[in-house]
Amino acid sequence: MRLADLQAMFQAGVLAGAEDGARILESVKNSAQADRTTLFGVYVNAYRARLAEFLAADFPALRALIGEEAFDALADAYIGAQPSRQRNARWYTTRLPDFLRESAEWRDNARAIDLASFERALTDAFDAPDAEPLTIDALGGFASEQWPSLSFAFHPSLILLELEAGTIATHEAAMEQQELPPPDEQRGHVAVWRADLDSVHCELEADEFLALSLAMEGHAFGDICQMAAFRDLEDASPERLAQMLTGWFQEGLVVAAQVSAEE
Amino acid sequence: MSRPAPLGHGLGLRPIYYEEILSTRPNVDWFEIISENYMIGGGRPTAMLERVRADYPIVMHGVAMSLASTDPLDFDYLRELKALAERIEPAWVSDHLAWTGVHGVTLHDLLPIPYTQEALAHVAERVMRVQDFLGRRLVVENASTYVAFRESEMSEWAFVDELARRADCMLLLDVNNVFVSGFNHGFDPNEFIDAINPDRVAQFHMAGHTDNGTHRVDTHDQPVCDEVWTLYERARRRFGAVSTMIERDDNFPPFDELLTELGHMREIAARIDADVARSAA
Repeated sequence: MRLADLQAMFQAGVLAGAEDGARILESVKNSAQADRTTLFGVYVNAYRARLAEFLAADFPALRALIGEEAFDALADAYIGAQPSRQRNARWYTTRLPDFLRESAEWRDNARAIDLASFERALTDAFDAPDAEPLTIDALGGFASEQWPSLSFAFHPSLILLELEAGTIATHEAAMEQQELPPPDEQRGHVAVWRADLDSVHCELEADEFLALSLAMEGHAFGDICQMAAFRDLEDASPERLAQMLTGWFQEGLVVAAQVSAEE
Repeated sequence: MSRPAPLGHGLGLRPIYYEEILSTRPNVDWFEIISENYMIGGGRPTAMLERVRADYPIVMHGVAMSLASTDPLDFDYLRELKALAERIEPAWVSDHLAWTGVHGVTLHDLLPIPYTQEALAHVAERVMRVQDFLGRRLVVENASTYVAFRESEMSEWAFVDELARRADCMLLLDVNNVFVSGFNHGFDPNEFIDAINPDRVAQFHMAGHTDNGTHRVDTHDQPVCDEVWTLYERARRRFGAVSTMIERDDNFPPFDELLTELGHMREIAARIDADVARSAA
């Protein structure tokens, strides 16, 4: 048998979880101590166990929320539907929140989906590319008439999420192995990023979530003040936006500032 | 062809030990990293690696090159690997005589091959292309295997030795893998050790494994067992002073226990060197 055919058959047996029915067994020898089904089974079992381990490592709070049995069933379904196409195992679990959203069994469970999205953001922020934060002093280099045209670039680890308001409390309780709080279905906003080499997060008011979203899209400071959506929010004002901007600098979220070209 | 200068006795750089390594600067001659763990954007893993790199030689050991796959070589992966090597300047770069998947799928495992002339020509050609791309000689490791194929036309050691010659690569002799595969397939691990050209061996791996009665699995979650220490001694006598490290990837003990294992390895090496010096005198 050609090497390519042998590898295709071997892989098909592993993906099917078929330690006793795989066609590859015709090519596998029994050893002095073990039959070939047991020996091929080492690869079959290791495959599922390894991928399930990746999922459990990246979604510990989701596991606590839905329970081990449901998590194992979810992991089985994900592994069955989602063979890895990423050479680096780091990325295998990335699609789990999307998988939940697309699954008939899970799509109505916003609490589980939001918790999974939050955990994924923590993982993504943890090893996102590095960037040197800009200090607020850098703004001194711009003339006051340039301020409305200033736009900003943000740390690559920064991720904004709209989640059930109870997601963070659920995550904290799960990580501390405490009793989980009751669900809070109101919507809330969260920023996740990396500070001092660890993922951190904070809850955002609706106006700050909107302003930061617009700023991350590259809108200039003046434009954000003018945006109808921002103006419609209670307390929204250029002063409030300046206060937020100061906070973003203090948290090390801003990595570049530039004057946008005039439209 | 010349073997790289030996680095001494090393350990794997694993996240659980970052803080201890950086705060105590332990007596470890070098560290080996799992390359893929640092082929990411940035953050703690890359920051810790750079700090450790400032004080210790580093070797890059990959698990995803899939040298024996019949899929095309993944040059996106190789570009990332090369970029990491340019940043870290490792003493060398290694990966396995194994495949990890075909048809674009990755099983995240080191999968076995039949030891055939076809496979030998295929892997040798890929090793040469990788070496050309990376601009450095590759170090290729024998993997632990659990199945043997009817299609095989030669022994694993004949395959490994000929691969090194044809591809002009170096070898990472995993002593534990020789033992595990020997047990699983019923060959004498001494025969494997004795068949490999000493000029090709750049590094040894040592590790613990799990004994399942009918077969043994390379789990890296136990101390090195006595039989593998005995085999190490044979390899150390045959191949001389070769850079050696202990792999531990699960069931992590306190770091001191790894240092104790490393100390045991150093004692064996020192005893062998003393024997050699005595017989030369």
